[in-house]
Amino acid sequence: MRLTVKQLAKAYGYLWALRQLDLELAPGEFVALLGPNGAGKTTFLKLLAGLTAPSSGTIELDGASVAGARGQIGLLAPADHLYDQLTVRENLRFFTALHGKAHGDNELAAALDAVGLSARAGEYAGNLSAGMKCRLSIAKWRLLDPGLLLLDEPYGVLDGSGVDLLEEFLRQHCAKGHIVIMASHHVSRAVNLCSRAVVLHQGRLSFNEPKQSPWPSFDRAFGDFLPRGGL
Amino acid sequence: MAQSTNALKKSKGILGALALLAVAVGLWWSLLVAPPDAYQGEVQRIMYLHLPSILTAYLSYFLVFIASGMYLWKREPKDDLLAHAAAELGVLFTALTIIEGSIWGKPTWGVWWTWDARLTFTAVLLLIYAGYLVLRASIDDQQRAASAAAILGIIGFLDIPLIHMSVYWWRTLHQPPSILRPDKKPWENVHPAMLTALTISFVGFLLLYFYLLSLRYRLGEMRQEIKALRLERGI
Amino acid sequence: MNLLRQAYLLLCKDLLLELRRRDSLLTMFFFGTLLLFVFHFAFDLPPDKIGELAPALLWLAFLFTGTLGLAQLFQAERDNHCLDALLLSPLDRGALFLAKTGFNFILMFLVELVVIPLFWILFNLPAWNLIPQLFLVTLLGTLGFCVLGTITAAITLRARGRELLLPLVLFPLMIPVILATIRCMETVLKTGGVADAMGWLRMLIGFDVIFITIGVLIFDSVIES
Repeated sequence: MRLTVKQLAKAYGYLWALRQLDLELAPGEFVALLGPNGAGKTTFLKLLAGLTAPSSGTIELDGASVAGARGQIGLLAPADHLYDQLTVRENLRFFTALHGKAHGDNELAAALDAVGLSARAGEYAGNLSAGMKCRLSIAKWRLLDPGLLLLDEPYGVLDGSGVDLLEEFLRQHCAKGHIVIMASHHVSRAVNLCSRAVVLHQGRLSFNEPKQSPWPSFDRAFGDFLPRGGL
Repeated sequence: MAQSTNALKKSKGILGALALLAVAVGLWWSLLVAPPDAYQGEVQRIMYLHLPSILTAYLSYFLVFIASGMYLWKREPKDDLLAHAAAELGVLFTALTIIEGSIWGKPTWGVWWTWDARLTFTAVLLLIYAGYLVLRASIDDQQRAASAAAILGIIGFLDIPLIHMSVYWWRTLHQPPSILRPDKKPWENVHPAMLTALTISFVGFLLLYFYLLSLRYRLGEMRQEIKALRLERGI
Repeated sequence: MNLLRQAYLLLCKDLLLELRRRDSLLTMFFFGTLLLFVFHFAFDLPPDKIGELAPALLWLAFLFTGTLGLAQLFQAERDNHCLDALLLSPLDRGALFLAKTGFNFILMFLVELVVIPLFWILFNLPAWNLIPQLFLVTLLGTLGFCVLGTITAAITLRARGRELLLPLVLFPLMIPVILATIRCMETVLKTGGVADAMGWLRMLIGFDVIFITIGVLIFDSVIES
């Protein structure tokens, strides 16, 4: 999947959340989407997911619009997008059926096993902790296998083994030629995984480079607005 | 840019002047030239305002419908501006119609309000489009407000024939339409001066309507421009 | 076919959630019953007069309970931003419309199944044999209510004060359904059949068909953006 964003802008009332954003991503790229609070990261992800309409500009996925690529775009919200009163297994079964990718019971069980949830398959999703919900979401998107996977701050709720699980999944996902865009404040983790860093600042793209090592330009750009700065 | 704005202003001024003239001539014909009605006397003259008001309101709701459909299809903000402007004017002219009807009803029927089919139907129109305006005002995100309103503009308009039919079946004691009677040709039952007065009055209302619509549309445009400027300057 | 399969999937999900959450049905049922008591106190009438008012009173009760249900219609989707999860999927938006309409229809059907006989008992009405016909007419009206109600609930979903706005927008649009259903029910009560009100019945069916079609076609724009 190839992603092309041209002159994307979104205004909320009298404020630009995002403006003049151009971005071109090749298949298999892993983007670390960075920036301080209020920089427009979440707005950008929502626009890419088609959950909100841009004020101007276009987004193309392999030449198709966001609406045309529906089902090809995944948004992994750490503890959201699950029905509390459906069991873990029912949630998986419902969403895979909704995406037209129904799986057999064995595959569902295997997917739950892979994220360490097989013992809780019959419990309501509402009874899970936030970290467990995030694991369930990982299982869900692994089964749905979207060409563009978006993540909004997934680290906050995960424990150590959960983080390993997530990062392993994301690496495999990119290896299939899919694009991953992850917004996060865990700069070192995100940069460690990524193939490209994109920094938003006050709604504008202030930095966009493929990863290098060492990376002095990144340190300079990021040092501008994060007290800790650097890697 | 400045020139075209000037030309636009000028043409709008001409439209306004024409509207004023036509309404004035219409009033003169309605009040002085046309003869009083054989049965109702002088009070029937309110018809020269009443009928053009409601026809203008219908036209306005039709415009809301068209502009709403265009907005959902093309997503151009200007269609939404037009729908909004037309809905506001529709509500205005419907309210005028009801007020005029009340004034007419008191001397002819002896009551300000009666649950007759045409009155009730007009009141329902007012409720639907007042709801439309409230809905618009209750959604903060402009694009969402525009599409929600467009949906209502479409289903509301499509519902109108059904509402009309049901309310008429429900009850009719309104006088039968006095101009367009299928059994007689219009010029046979109406004094020609009455017909002329009504026609002039209708033309006057139409000109007035389009003048107000252009003003209201421009107001919406200016709000957009202010918003764009504020976005530009970041205030 | 895909449309109906997706709608069925969503409907099953909603019914399962209702079974476990008990958001709407019990409240609607108690509210409907409560209204019957309020009506009894408000109109202290002999049974023959109540019989004439029965269609209007029943429909007032259904209108209010139905509005209560509509206000809750998208609650499961609002929790945890599940609506976003649905919109991310390649789901036909028309299926979402059909499922929500069907779900609300089933809830109101169950409420009416209890409230109509209860009305007959509470007000000592004699004409028990007419209840099936009355029920059929009511269901046609209920369908119309659910169809437009679902569209209205969806367009007011992101509005401030949406619970208040919903009836404000919906009720004027419902006038054909309200009038037609009540007239049909009156005719059934008077003549024992609906033959004398065929015009009304046709209008009711026409309303249902027209707005189901429109709903399926434009629900995409209703729920997006």
